[in-house]
Amino acid sequence: MIERADTAAQMVVSLARLLRDGETVFFGVASPIPMVAALLARRLHAPNLVILTIAGGVSPLPEHLPASTVDPALLHGARAQVTLTDIFDLSARGRLDTAFLGGVQIDDQGRINMSAIGDFDRPKVRLPGGAGSAAIMPTARRTILWRTRHDPRTFVETLGFVTAAGNVEHVVTPLCVFGRAVGRPGEGVGRRTGGLAAGDADTVNGDVGSAVAGGAGGGLAVESIHASSGADEVRVQTGFAVHVGPETPTTPPPSDAERAALRDLDPENVAATELRGR
Amino acid sequence: MLDKRRSLADAVATIEDGAVVALGGNTLHRAPVAAVHELVRQGKRGLELVKTAGAYDVDLLCGWGCASAVSAGFVGYESVFGLAPLYRRAVESGLVEAREHACYTVIAGLRAAAQGVPFMPVNALQGSQLPQARDFRTVRDPYTDGEVMAIPAIAPDVALIHVHEADAEGNGRIVGSHFEDALMVRAAKWVILTAERIVDGAQFAQDPERTTIPGFLVDSVVEAPRGAWPTSCAGLYDYDADYLAQFIAAAADEGMLRRFVEEHVLAGAVSPHSPAPSPTVGREGDRPTVLPSPASGRGAGGEGRPEGRW
Repeated sequence: MIERADTAAQMVVSLARLLRDGETVFFGVASPIPMVAALLARRLHAPNLVILTIAGGVSPLPEHLPASTVDPALLHGARAQVTLTDIFDLSARGRLDTAFLGGVQIDDQGRINMSAIGDFDRPKVRLPGGAGSAAIMPTARRTILWRTRHDPRTFVETLGFVTAAGNVEHVVTPLCVFGRAVGRPGEGVGRRTGGLAAGDADTVNGDVGSAVAGGAGGGLAVESIHASSGADEVRVQTGFAVHVGPETPTTPPPSDAERAALRDLDPENVAATELRGR
Repeated sequence: MLDKRRSLADAVATIEDGAVVALGGNTLHRAPVAAVHELVRQGKRGLELVKTAGAYDVDLLCGWGCASAVSAGFVGYESVFGLAPLYRRAVESGLVEAREHACYTVIAGLRAAAQGVPFMPVNALQGSQLPQARDFRTVRDPYTDGEVMAIPAIAPDVALIHVHEADAEGNGRIVGSHFEDALMVRAAKWVILTAERIVDGAQFAQDPERTTIPGFLVDSVVEAPRGAWPTSCAGLYDYDADYLAQFIAAAADEGMLRRFVEEHVLAGAVSPHSPAPSPTVGREGDRPTVLPSPASGRGAGGEGRPEGRW
């Protein structure tokens, strides 16, 4: 139990530190760890964070944290309300800064499988589906993935199915933080216009979201390893090749200030519900 | 004024086997469960379900043999209870076709239907294998010659929507999260509203902007107190974590599932916490409209919380 709470705390603070003050950030269904991370970042270093959720409340101040992350409890304290349609449209026109998304399987390009193991039409395992990820990953300015499991069946060389691909910039796991170079509008990598399909590099009006169709931004590299893990474990538990060694930095553990804010924000430890049954 | 009030059984009886059925709400929240349970009781077959993100509603209709296809972006009980076991088994055994979408492409298809056009261009799905798997095609942009992803229209035969309040004409009001319900109402050919309570619509004239479902788009209205149970209804009740846990446990075994559904759904699906029927049920009363505050209820049950602390 202690260990699970520590893992959740490390993942929450790792995600929260990646958020920038003033940006727009979205999390969707089944996302307790990103929910807590976004609310924590707003308390600590990003007071002007614009937090968008499927429940619709803009930058809510929930009285208690729900285990379901589309719960209407996430309307409390919000001064404006939007719909999921509004959020998708925002991303499609290139105005969503950061999306938190998950993946049952993740490859070394940060592409995800949320659809099926085995044949798509007659799968061995039918997965829940990618929710919004196939729409948001290619169009949000950056995507930060999180996954509560880090093993060779999760971080794979080849996905069973590519549900979504796009501008994945970081992946946070119970063991480490991966980083990846992302092309963004104006940076000349995978620049696309709104409405253009994958594989079409025409640019009509470059102010619309970029669409790196997976791969154009480079591969995942281990940025830091959590203090609770080590280079050997990360290497063994990752199904694709990673370069790690004694020189790989250690993720700073949660600071006293982060821990205190977290205790206050999430006293019932909703973030750790994601680590149940692991 | 047209009185569109019907019994739940009569309203749901208009739905034919094989119909395309849009379900309002999102995952554990404000799903139209009273109507879904009636679909089960009436033994509907071959339904195609349309939803951005479904849970108990989709799972039950797949597990009980009512559905043959699901067009959705996500089906699962979030991280609260995980995968939807009956949906999963039905797809894996070939009984139900998973017509996977991104939630945005469900919305795009509904928008196309609402706007009377055959498809909706979207800026989405780049790098995804969903277009190949689902035969989503591109069209040429006639102005720039670019290629645009085009999602075919989704025109549900019927939308099932649960609201907090409605009047006899079908004017409907939702408190809290609206999800994509208003869009479903506009895309569907037939709309059945279930409402926590039916009130005198004259009072809606004080603030008509809160009536996001206009009655002229609605065909049937059913009074269904606790009609979203075991999913939540903002400000009134939370999702029923105990019931959902029992349902998911029963789903592990066919005999257990049959007994569970017989007891909780076929027998009439009365929530264990239902208040006694109000004497004004089914009539337009003069009760005042006191809408609950959307976020006043606890959003998540104390059940299922971990014992651990930071």
